Amino acid sequence: MDRRRMVVLSAAESADYSFADEYKGPPLPYDIPHAVPIDVDRIPLAAVAPVSAALPDLPVVHPLPSPSSSPLKKPPPPHVTPAPPLPAASPTSVIENRAAMDRPGAEVSGALGSFGFPDRSTDLSEVVDSSGAIGFSDELGDGAAWSNEMMPNRLSTESALSSEFSFRSSASGDGDEDEAVALQAKKALLVTFQESGQSSCCMSPAVGVTPRARSEDLEMKIKKGACHRCLKGSRFTEKETCLVCDAKYCSGCVLRAMGSMPEGRKCISCIGFPILESNRERLGRSSRVLKKLLSSREVQLVMKAEKDCEANQLRPEDICVNGTKLSLEEMVLLQSCSCPPNLKPGLYWYDKVSGYWGKEGHKPDRIITPHLNVGGTLMRNASNGNTGILINGREITKVELQMLKWAGVHCAGNPHFWLNADGTYLEEGQKNVKGQIWEKPIMKLLCPVLSLPFPSKVANEVNNLFNRAVPDCFDTKALQKLLLVGHHESGTSTIFKQAKFLYSSVPFSEDEREDIKLMIQTSIYNYLAILLEGRERFEEESLDEQRDKQHLDSSGDVAFGKQNKVTEYSISPRLRAFSDWLLKIMASGNLEAIFPAATREYAPLVEELWKDSAIQATYSRRNELQSLPSYASYFLERVVDISRAEYEPSDMDILCADGINSSNGVAYTDFQFPCLACVGSSIDDDDQQEALLRYQLIRVHTMGLGENCKWLGMFEDVRIVIFCVAITDYDEYYEDANGMVRNKMMESRRIFEGIASHPTFEQMDFLLILSKIDLLDQKMDMAPLTLCDWFDDYNPVVSYHPHNKDRRGAQIGATKAQQAFHYTAVKFKRLFFSITGRKLYVAQANGLDGDSVDAALRYAKEIVKWEERLVCDILESMYGTEPSSYSH
Amino acid sequence: MSFSELKDRHVAATAMVNTLRDRLNQKRQQLLDTDVAGYAKSQGRTAVNFSSTDLVCCRTLQGHTGKVYSLDWTPEKNRIVSASQDGRLIIWNALTSQKTHAIKLPCAWVMTCSFAPNGYSVACGGLDSECSIFNLNSQVDRDGNLPVSRVLTGHKGYVSSCEFVRDQDTRLITGSGDQTCVLWDVTTGQRISVFGGEFPSGHTSDVLSISINSSNSNMFVSGSCDATARLWDTRIASRAIRTYHGHHGDVNTVKFFPDGQRFGTGSDDGTCRLFDMRTGHQLQVYSQQQANNDQDVPIVTSIAFSISGRLLFAGYSNGDCYVWDTLLAEIWAFGGHRKVI
Repeated sequence: MDRRRMVVLSAAESADYSFADEYKGPPLPYDIPHAVPIDVDRIPLAAVAPVSAALPDLPVVHPLPSPSSSPLKKPPPPHVTPAPPLPAASPTSVIENRAAMDRPGAEVSGALGSFGFPDRSTDLSEVVDSSGAIGFSDELGDGAAWSNEMMPNRLSTESALSSEFSFRSSASGDGDEDEAVALQAKKALLVTFQESGQSSCCMSPAVGVTPRARSEDLEMKIKKGACHRCLKGSRFTEKETCLVCDAKYCSGCVLRAMGSMPEGRKCISCIGFPILESNRERLGRSSRVLKKLLSSREVQLVMKAEKDCEANQLRPEDICVNGTKLSLEEMVLLQSCSCPPNLKPGLYWYDKVSGYWGKEGHKPDRIITPHLNVGGTLMRNASNGNTGILINGREITKVELQMLKWAGVHCAGNPHFWLNADGTYLEEGQKNVKGQIWEKPIMKLLCPVLSLPFPSKVANEVNNLFNRAVPDCFDTKALQKLLLVGHHESGTSTIFKQAKFLYSSVPFSEDEREDIKLMIQTSIYNYLAILLEGRERFEEESLDEQRDKQHLDSSGDVAFGKQNKVTEYSISPRLRAFSDWLLKIMASGNLEAIFPAATREYAPLVEELWKDSAIQATYSRRNELQSLPSYASYFLERVVDISRAEYEPSDMDILCADGINSSNGVAYTDFQFPCLACVGSSIDDDDQQEALLRYQLIRVHTMGLGENCKWLGMFEDVRIVIFCVAITDYDEYYEDANGMVRNKMMESRRIFEGIASHPTFEQMDFLLILSKIDLLDQKMDMAPLTLCDWFDDYNPVVSYHPHNKDRRGAQIGATKAQQAFHYTAVKFKRLFFSITGRKLYVAQANGLDGDSVDAALRYAKEIVKWEERLVCDILESMYGTEPSSYSH
Repeated sequence: MSFSELKDRHVAATAMVNTLRDRLNQKRQQLLDTDVAGYAKSQGRTAVNFSSTDLVCCRTLQGHTGKVYSLDWTPEKNRIVSASQDGRLIIWNALTSQKTHAIKLPCAWVMTCSFAPNGYSVACGGLDSECSIFNLNSQVDRDGNLPVSRVLTGHKGYVSSCEFVRDQDTRLITGSGDQTCVLWDVTTGQRISVFGGEFPSGHTSDVLSISINSSNSNMFVSGSCDATARLWDTRIASRAIRTYHGHHGDVNTVKFFPDGQRFGTGSDDGTCRLFDMRTGHQLQVYSQQQANNDQDVPIVTSIAFSISGRLLFAGYSNGDCYVWDTLLAEIWAFGGHRKVI
């Protein structure tokens, strides 16, 4: 008995393999899982129901049928036997009961009165899958035939159904069945079905159809699309289905039925079981129900768990290649090769030499990456050919022979060929290549006609383009990395912070704010020190002047001169002490060491210092202090507030502050572009997808990371490099480590060259952001662009019509900055082209203006998208143009 | 003394230094009448011969999804820590290839990792300019991550390499992109001494690699972007004991010879060299005789000696790994590495 059951099961298994991909609709197995939560207590209820012939019991009964059909959980027989008070033979009666429960309302009477004859076949099948303790398979034929007479139509569905049941159970149950036995059993099974299903279209091909019939059946039983848990709702209410058993739950029950979803959307009882193959595409695709129920973060987590958890992965032992079950490594190899096959459980053959791949007993299905060390050796009869011609040891099918003929291969005398991956073929045992199969352009057209695969050359050729994208597809498919680099003070940090403000709900945590506060306070001392230094210089200068004056004014008495030693830049001794101390600290370079203690201690002193007329006088001459950054005045004017311990930086302060965190390393932030609701009338699917894309902005501090660009290799997986240059740098200078004074623009250019020519970024897109564009206007008037050596050929076209100038004064001012911007952009573009031969994208931004940063980053996003399209276009054109040029 | 006068003197002094350096090199060339290979040949040594089975890949450890940047063994050679661009440290059991820990790092750009001599903690460093220490025995938090037990902050550039001092669990040396090496006390997280930086004999460019002498743990050697390697004594932080010139490109990797008397280097110029620690002589150059002597020489990214020191394994940026016979400077090529170690 037992043996027989196993046979049936394995038969179903083989059936599963051969028809696996025909299942489209919700297959039978749905039923099975939803039953799984067997409530032992409920069984007596069910038993009672038939006795009392009570209709109202039916809803309670529902869950039962499924437990019985669940393959792995045997319904406890002790409960079953006592249940039916009916006088029938024990096993059948139990089943009868269940069957009766199966049909809500409609056939209660049948179940009660007549032992539910019409449902006999269902029962039997259920017995087969579930416990099988009782050897029913003998009776299967009988029963089926019997019921056949009674209800031919229904029966056919049911029997098909039963096959589904058994397939299901076998899939999860015993995988190690002997295949030969399985085949035999399959035949036997088919025969049985034929008997039972004569009246209508049953038989093996029907298996593909049955799921639909079955699901309808199911819906009928459960009030047409009701929730499997609360049994309420209609087909139209939104539901979530379990990936394993296809039980549907309404939004109210999902969380109760599925719990915390450690393996994604599975009933609690299904956790740990492999998912249905037909549900594989749904993996990781969230649904509306879930989104309603959970926060987006939780949905993300669940979807990630669903995609990544082990139980949901394709199991290598389900895939057989050349008669050998795959190991995990082999499956990973298959999935990660450059032209992977479409893996579903089943039997396949694989020709390692040519890359041909197909289902066992069928012609080649596709050409995958050759030379993968996967599976056993290729058998002669792998594709069930009968032409007598061998390719790499496999007897080919007629269609392939046809293709060979069209390809101009002489096939007389049943030769044995050796076909390489590149299409060259030779006769077995010979050395000289006889020809190239794929080289004829017509082959590309013919192969699809014969529904034979054609090698995707494109995939090989464009491989290098994809290579960099592939590795991170693995886990973080949607994460696009943007690398933001730039010279010191080029505005990278501002843009980074602006992006944080723009796209994230909590831009800066408490700790980060505290950090930034400290940073601002440190830098304010820095600025003060610069001012004090300037003051000393100015004081000396003015003293010198006075001395000169005295020399001229030789008669002037000494006392007068002494008095005058006190210039407008002089400060009181107390402040002088502080100033000396601060300058000393600065010189020794350990300003950070005295913080944050300094803030408390010196706040009043700083206030006094700032209010001192000498400092104010120095401050008014700040333009002469080169080392004072442009935004220092923003903070200096509020120095009194800032130096206090209780100071809290505002958003604007944070934006203006220098740097992001105290360690000069990398900083990164993940963000999504919020949907632009009113961008245009057409929001297509494309945009919807994009909304899900996540971006990671990585900001690197070039100074902190050394100038040798050793670290650039670590960023080879970024999608685009955003290089930031402050356009106002052209007349600014800084002192490098060797004390050389360098133009900042030239320095930016040097770093840019270094990065652009770095081998890691050979294929990388670059976006140049010219920042601080807002300051350019004022600056243009004071300092011409030609101050920088690189820009010495800048001579803009200026309109000389005086009245024009009068009328549109403001406008001309604007165009001046615009001209400078375009000029600089072109300069960089030419430079970039000379290095890489590619196009440089340029955008402008003003770090303090959120919109402009947003625009620039969106531009970066667009570039990434364009490039993806470009690759697609290349693919298309490679596919598309060749045949057309041939056909003309 | 006026500014221009100073400038002139500086130029003169620089020229002087350069001529002296040249003379030194010439003198070295004179004194170094033979290299190891020549001597070994004259002594009639034969090269080590390999059959294809002598070097086999024992195990492939699968699990990282990004490039593996660095790995280190425990002293007992039974466990491995590897650091990868996917932002994880993975501790492997080298015998069974099982993963015992997977540590998610706060900063994904990790460049180096190292096992403590006791095998209970690992250190890693990267672009965040910090060196983080993880105690493998500490309790994991809710997300299953190991908490950082200590963060060593103070570098102003990326941490390119770190290594625990042998026989002293609490000491760690890091090399950094800020041109310095630092000796840390792990328990307090304080810097004990800083090598280079302010001092005139320090590296003038990013330190890329360090290696601690296996027989005398007070000595360590560092390789830098300034094309030199320098020898330091941890007790004397003020100056480098010796500077080794010879490479024409950034020294990417340094490794002490097992006997602790010499060390090997690998460089951007595509060569590996063997230096004598005490004399400062360059004992041997291992370079491929490229038929096409263009710029496409693959960069040496990492080297390792066999336990006997007879073999030098060198990884190149093109993915090849070569084994050099350290005595005869002959090579066997074998591919198979898909990553740059």
